[in-house]
Amino acid sequence: MPKTGKHRDVAVKFRDYYEVLEVPRTASADDIKRAYRQLARKHHPDLQPASERNQAAERFKEINEAYEVLSDPDKRSKYDALGRDYKGGMDFTPPPGTGRGGTAGDRDTAGNVGDFSDFFASIFGRSAGGTRRGGVRMSIPGSDIEGMLPVTLDDLLHGGQRRITLDGHSLDVIIPRGIRDGATLRLAGQGGPGINGGPAGDVYLHVRLLPHPRYRVAGDDLDMDLPLWPWQAVLGSDVRVDTPDGPVMLTIRPATQSGARLRLRGRGLPRGNERGDLYAVARVVVPTRPSAEEREAYETLRRLASAPADRPATP
Amino acid sequence: MSVTRLPPRVEIRLSLSDLATACGLSANRVKRLVKLGLVEPEPDAPDRFSSATAARLRRMLRLRADLGVNLAGAAIIVDLVEHLDRLDAELSRLRGQGWT
Repeated sequence: MPKTGKHRDVAVKFRDYYEVLEVPRTASADDIKRAYRQLARKHHPDLQPASERNQAAERFKEINEAYEVLSDPDKRSKYDALGRDYKGGMDFTPPPGTGRGGTAGDRDTAGNVGDFSDFFASIFGRSAGGTRRGGVRMSIPGSDIEGMLPVTLDDLLHGGQRRITLDGHSLDVIIPRGIRDGATLRLAGQGGPGINGGPAGDVYLHVRLLPHPRYRVAGDDLDMDLPLWPWQAVLGSDVRVDTPDGPVMLTIRPATQSGARLRLRGRGLPRGNERGDLYAVARVVVPTRPSAEEREAYETLRRLASAPADRPATP
Repeated sequence: MSVTRLPPRVEIRLSLSDLATACGLSANRVKRLVKLGLVEPEPDAPDRFSSATAARLRRMLRLRADLGVNLAGAAIIVDLVEHLDRLDAELSRLRGQGWT
């Protein structure tokens, strides 16, 4: 999230940048560059699996901050002079005359402090950072935050709104009508700040459709099971079925087989101004506990049927 | 201190100029990347790009700046990471079904 508002006066902890880059204090400029490249290869958030990306972003931020300081001879000597009496994690009090309030163009300039820590800002000011990330001066998009957005079928059909929590921040997300499972939503500028004037980080939410007990999604269409009694399937019948748009009367034609797909046009998922179809898939079910009279009727059917009773059905 | 924030605008598809803005590039630069096949438009609309494509191009630009690879190399890296993500998802799906 972009930091706004005033800088708060809180105790900052000393950061051991040498420890972060895993180099000794005597490391040469080349050693530092090499260490940075190696750590960047290992911890770069964009190289991590999705589940670890946001976490890796934090670590990578520290690495960049350390590199920003140790790769710049002026910053490094200033840091070394201040850091003589400190170890990582100790409370740090910047000597007067350092840090914020120094330079002109305190924020939102091309070389803003980016995501750097309060500790960094307390020594170098808020405008000192983010100009040499990776040793290059090119504009870089800020780091993105990724997350899952579970949606219901109802969200797909009508759109919706969901409050999600990402990196400790809550965000109200509008779910557009007609979105699909697997789609990605972009929420521009909700991530970390950009580097060297690059665009700010975005939030990307991957849409994951929660299974619905009745409806299955197939492209723009929906499938639902339509259980029918044998007599409904054989004789035909008008059946009241529930659809996402409310109940409708569905005409079952005589001799409807299991697996027959009855189309309800325009009751599927929205696609632009159109909608897919809803298919009711017929499934003939038999009574599990027929009454004595029903049994008798079935016995009669068996007697009347032309098909042999000791062979599978051949409709 | 708490500020009421409007829900941010949600994008699913971007125009070429939106994509350029999203990535801090000029529209011409994006056009060249499309020509080179490093950025792919939506299959049904040659001037529209998915949000996932924006995420992908931004990722490529970060990798280029941070690791010193060129954009063609970054595209390959992004492909491989996406492939790993799919395998991870499949693996956890199978684990959920008691396969391992």
